[in-house]
Amino acid sequence: MQGLEASIREIGRSLSGAYPPAIRHPARTVDQRLMQMVADRPDVQAALFRFVDATPACRTPEELTDHLTALLEELDDPPPLLKAPEALGRGRIGERIVGSAAAAGVRHLAQRFIVGESPRAALGHLERLWRDGAGASLDLLGEATVSQDEADRYAGRCADAIETLAGAVGAWPNRPVLERDSSGPIPRANVSVKISALTPLIRPAAPELGADDAARRLVPLLRQARDTGVHLHIDMESVDTLETTLHLVLDLLGHAEFRTGPSAGVVMQAYLRESPEIADRVLEWTRANPRDVPLTVRLVKGAYWDHEVAEARQRGWSPPVFTEKAESDRNFEALTRTLIDAQPPVRLAIASHNLRSVSHAIAYNRLFGRGDDRDIEVQVLQGLGDDLRDALAAHRIRTRVYCPVGDLVMGMAYLVRRLLENTASTSFLSAHGRGVPIEQLLAAP
Amino acid sequence: MSAFQNEPVLELRRAPNRSALVDALRRLDASLPLRVPVLVGDGDGTHAGIDSTDPGAPERLVASAGVATPAEVAAAVERARIGQPAWAARTPEDRAATLRRAAQILRMDRLALAALQVRECGKPWPEADADVCEAIDHLEYATHQALALAAGRELLQLPGERNTMRYRPRGVVAAIGPWNFPLAIPAGLVAAGLATGNAVILKPAEQAPASGYRLVQALRHAGVPADVIQLLPGSGETGAALVAHPGVHTIAFTGSEAVGLAIIRAAAATPDGQRHVKRVVAEMGGKNAIIVDSDADLDQVVPDVLRSAFAFAGQKCSAAARVLVHEAIAEALLGRLRGAVEALRVGQAEDFATDVPPVIEREAQDRVMAAIATGVREGRIGAQQPEIPSGGWFCPPTIVTDLPPGSGVSEEEIFGPVLTLEPVPSVDAALDVVDASRYALTGGIFSRNPRVIDTVIARSPVGNLYINRAITGAIVGRQPFGGNRRSGIGAKVGGPDYILQFVDPQVVSENTMRHGLVVE
Repeated sequence: MQGLEASIREIGRSLSGAYPPAIRHPARTVDQRLMQMVADRPDVQAALFRFVDATPACRTPEELTDHLTALLEELDDPPPLLKAPEALGRGRIGERIVGSAAAAGVRHLAQRFIVGESPRAALGHLERLWRDGAGASLDLLGEATVSQDEADRYAGRCADAIETLAGAVGAWPNRPVLERDSSGPIPRANVSVKISALTPLIRPAAPELGADDAARRLVPLLRQARDTGVHLHIDMESVDTLETTLHLVLDLLGHAEFRTGPSAGVVMQAYLRESPEIADRVLEWTRANPRDVPLTVRLVKGAYWDHEVAEARQRGWSPPVFTEKAESDRNFEALTRTLIDAQPPVRLAIASHNLRSVSHAIAYNRLFGRGDDRDIEVQVLQGLGDDLRDALAAHRIRTRVYCPVGDLVMGMAYLVRRLLENTASTSFLSAHGRGVPIEQLLAAP
Repeated sequence: MSAFQNEPVLELRRAPNRSALVDALRRLDASLPLRVPVLVGDGDGTHAGIDSTDPGAPERLVASAGVATPAEVAAAVERARIGQPAWAARTPEDRAATLRRAAQILRMDRLALAALQVRECGKPWPEADADVCEAIDHLEYATHQALALAAGRELLQLPGERNTMRYRPRGVVAAIGPWNFPLAIPAGLVAAGLATGNAVILKPAEQAPASGYRLVQALRHAGVPADVIQLLPGSGETGAALVAHPGVHTIAFTGSEAVGLAIIRAAAATPDGQRHVKRVVAEMGGKNAIIVDSDADLDQVVPDVLRSAFAFAGQKCSAAARVLVHEAIAEALLGRLRGAVEALRVGQAEDFATDVPPVIEREAQDRVMAAIATGVREGRIGAQQPEIPSGGWFCPPTIVTDLPPGSGVSEEEIFGPVLTLEPVPSVDAALDVVDASRYALTGGIFSRNPRVIDTVIARSPVGNLYINRAITGAIVGRQPFGGNRRSGIGAKVGGPDYILQFVDPQVVSENTMRHGLVVE
């Protein structure tokens, strides 16, 4: 494994050297500075995030100001920058100004992470990404699905996204890195869907109920994706939906009518203690259900850590996730190796902004996998992984940007989650932003 | 002694846990009907008179229970009087160890106890399991509290005098429990009494006598003497005879407002020969409101309102009965609630996919259907899931809107899956509505403005206020539970003040001066 570590460091240093200089993206840098400031003050962070969370529900600038000042009032020692709204917000005109400025600030933040209000509106952005050498997966943001009507509407939006993308991508220029790996062609258009949005009947204690109901809507989407050559990726959410999601996807993709397509994928969350067993189950399924197109596995660390830990602690359960970040990172690498070893019936997408995790996958594939860089895809989040995306594109590694689409109301939960993630002191991006030396960032977890 | 910890509920999202419960139910079904005798002292009395049936399949007899006669009530109080001093003379540690053994018995038997509630009360698995855990919590928590109390309280000490304050058991406790938390609430009433050295007579609800019987069995197996914990199954008359008996010192009751008030009146009597004044701890009705401000996150409000109003078919004292929603978002909220109510599944408690189980008995079904009919007459059905199974005491979960002010549907407790939705011009107006009620048990506010939340905290009269979450599911040691106004008198169960209801304080002041010298 010595060779592996050396290779990881070499790849990591090379990628790091290809990160665009800050000067090329002044806006990114300013945002990053703001995040850094907030990261040092958990109380300020909490107040600002709670404010962002409430913005879509405020109907007037005055209401926005009321929320902002009420949240800032709770701070014992507000930073100087944030004292202005309180002083300003007192007069009637002041309320207007502060409220409008705050709304503009939140919109600016949102635009960094959310690429458009609809798939059609996002097409320009997706094509620019493509021309710059990166693919995309379109994700439809939405409110929680609590009724059959809402599930139908979400399925309709998914169908529209598939149709819109399928109609548009044919005109894009050739990008060989993005369109083929050693298993064959890869669809240009890629849409991610959430099972919890396809049914109001997710019941953790009755997984079949939600799976059966969501299947009514997922089957037509799978057919449409197959017939139009679009990749359909099924997202993974909290543990409460895990069994429903896995059961449903593996069941449907095993049907004869989906043997030839579509290209489809699932997600594995490395922070789950049970993820090695989940990997075994999925790999066993791929052996038992040969399909013409390999199943794509998007490997993530997992985005519901706080929720899983708090829920488990409140109920007296042992948390289903690793509680030390290094354990998740180590498991991520172990699963990376398992999935590379299991190719070709699976394709692997490394969804991480962590240079070490990404470099490890590339290095392991070069040394112990099929040796072709095209067999590793890296996925990053719009607005967070932009620098890594540029560096990977320069290295001719296929990168796919997860691009959320939706309006501000729909996007707020997503936005708050991304902001929290970005400023968490343990996150790779935060460490990178603080200037932690590259050798340290590339050390084995 | 280790710190108190809540008993973990089962992780029902794991299939093996669900299969274990299904197996437990199958074993229980093979043993039905259960027999629940009157237990006075060592005796084993009759177990005929009351039939407890499955609310989801009324032809299934779950238990046949005895009906304690006035003579048996008197005998039980006499046995308690005789047995109590020896129990009180034991060390607090000895009593605590005994109750912990009982908790352990319940723990070992938790699957069967949950299955019993599924059958006897139509209580869905997650709630039935949580009820068993809460019963265990009450036994454990009471031992912690009693041991802390046994240390006495600090008083000022001056030269020449020694002051001590300690607590003594009051004597005989009559514990009268409800059917909706058939194990947990009796356990809470009984544990506090026993841990502090009282003798306890439990009168379980006639709809759920078997769960109460299991509790008494566990306590006796753990070593509580037969005279110190007795069981008097029966009807309302049994309870009334127990309450009226001059040998009873403390009455711990959870149930309806009407019965609670009758108990309080009856307990005020001091017939000749009764050398004490009775104390009543009563947990009664509620008409609980959730306030939804215009800035609330409806993604969060809808599921939490549904859970608060319709889980266990609304048959919790803490359940939500009213939504007071800011008029700016009333239509949006009703629209989303309508779709969500139509997605609810009404079904058998044993089905893990069930959202709304049957109500407890025919009278309850009649009451709920009458309330819905009144809602149709006086207002409008805002949302309903009309698909309900036949056979059991099922009711359609319903939201009623457009009621005139003062309608019984929005003012009186229905204790079923009926929720009213009322637009209000402001949170202050909602608080006026809450303040006008004679009930003050639980309440909720959904808002993202800390100023609004502070106002609600300051103005709400309720005993348990929940912010941005469901308003049911109080947990021992975390959310001590109990109402104000006509929702309850006495301290909050599952909290640090509760056991004080079962003891009398005694202060001893001793002069330590002899011949002008302080001798200590």
